[in-house]
Amino acid sequence: MSLRTRLRPAALGAFLVLVGGCSDSVTLPSSGIQANPSSGIQANLRNTDVVQVDRFGIPAIATVFIPAAQRDAYNFAAPAGDRANFRQFVLAGLNAFGTPNAGAIADALQPDIQPVNLAAFNGFLAGGRKLSDDVITAELGIIFGANAALNDDHVDANDKPFLPTFPYLAGPFLP
Amino acid sequence: MTRRLSARRVWALTGVLALAVGATVRWIQASDHRDSALLTANPTEDIADVYSFQSPQNPANIVLAMTVAGFIPPAEAATAAFDPDVLYQLKIDTNADAVEDLVIQGYVTGNAGNQVMHLVGPAKPERTGARSRLLNGQKVTSVRVSTGAEPIVASQLGLTAFAGVRDDPFFFDLVRFKDVIAGHETAFRNPGVDTFAGFNVLAIVVEFPKAMLGTSGTIGVWGTTSRPQ
Repeated sequence: MSLRTRLRPAALGAFLVLVGGCSDSVTLPSSGIQANPSSGIQANLRNTDVVQVDRFGIPAIATVFIPAAQRDAYNFAAPAGDRANFRQFVLAGLNAFGTPNAGAIADALQPDIQPVNLAAFNGFLAGGRKLSDDVITAELGIIFGANAALNDDHVDANDKPFLPTFPYLAGPFLP
Repeated sequence: MTRRLSARRVWALTGVLALAVGATVRWIQASDHRDSALLTANPTEDIADVYSFQSPQNPANIVLAMTVAGFIPPAEAATAAFDPDVLYQLKIDTNADAVEDLVIQGYVTGNAGNQVMHLVGPAKPERTGARSRLLNGQKVTSVRVSTGAEPIVASQLGLTAFAGVRDDPFFFDLVRFKDVIAGHETAFRNPGVDTFAGFNVLAIVVEFPKAMLGTSGTIGVWGTTSRPQ
């Protein structure tokens, strides 16, 4: 078994668990969320610089391709420096996956910004990201190409239908 | 029960991550690293997803959405709250230089169950890059944070706004993936099963005329969370 073959399932796992910012879930405490944030005074944020602690542009980029030693730096960084500072890691990851045209794909994934064609809105990595877009399958397709065993997770839609009216996201699950 | 389920899911995610990266030391460290005090104590600064799409109701409008604090179980939906010490931003690059030309800034006041989200913009930021400032002297669109089934929506200054707990719009088959990476399976199942089904997130959703962006071409969108140093 080649190194690449052995690496692929592992890489797939990392990819899947992390896509969509899911890695963030790893860090959640069992209680899920603070019930009572400590303060409620908007002045907390006034007249002071605030520093970035997380960012999100294209699903999975940070969590799949950026190594641990760079992860904080990536989350704290502005995307203007992505090509210079982080493209190398994306390219290395794609090459480890055995992805064809890795260089061009790395260029499309950096900087880590969601491109939105206002005239077309025609889907992932070009025209924004609709709620219903199956970004997992889109990214699996980019990485695994025609490998039918791994290029689609066969979860094609959300568990609740999206709303036709604002705010479009489905209502919460309540007790 | 929900708490136990949630804890188990978190454990599963962590364990799976460690397995997935078994051959790669640096990613094992990543799993530990993500358990930082900062993120564990402050899930509401943890971005889950960002969406951008044309309004289904009005083709002249764009909708931007950011979700944070994934894996909120039903029992905690009513007490889910944004962090008053976090500045939530949607950043927009209109001239392809990867620097934000416009921002929509959000911050909350009030405690869990009684919060109001205040939204500024889209407006030119005072600072760009990794350090930000809440814009002063701007009119804000304020909307009560929704904690129930019915969304509370506010429209002011051309901006329609929602903030609050919603079903997590993200979907994929995490369980099957675990089996694949553990070597128990070699392919996804068909149909797959959405592991995210039944969990909520905190969402900020805004809709406004595309004309407010000052361009009709391609823009770049990303979300950030920031807090005082």
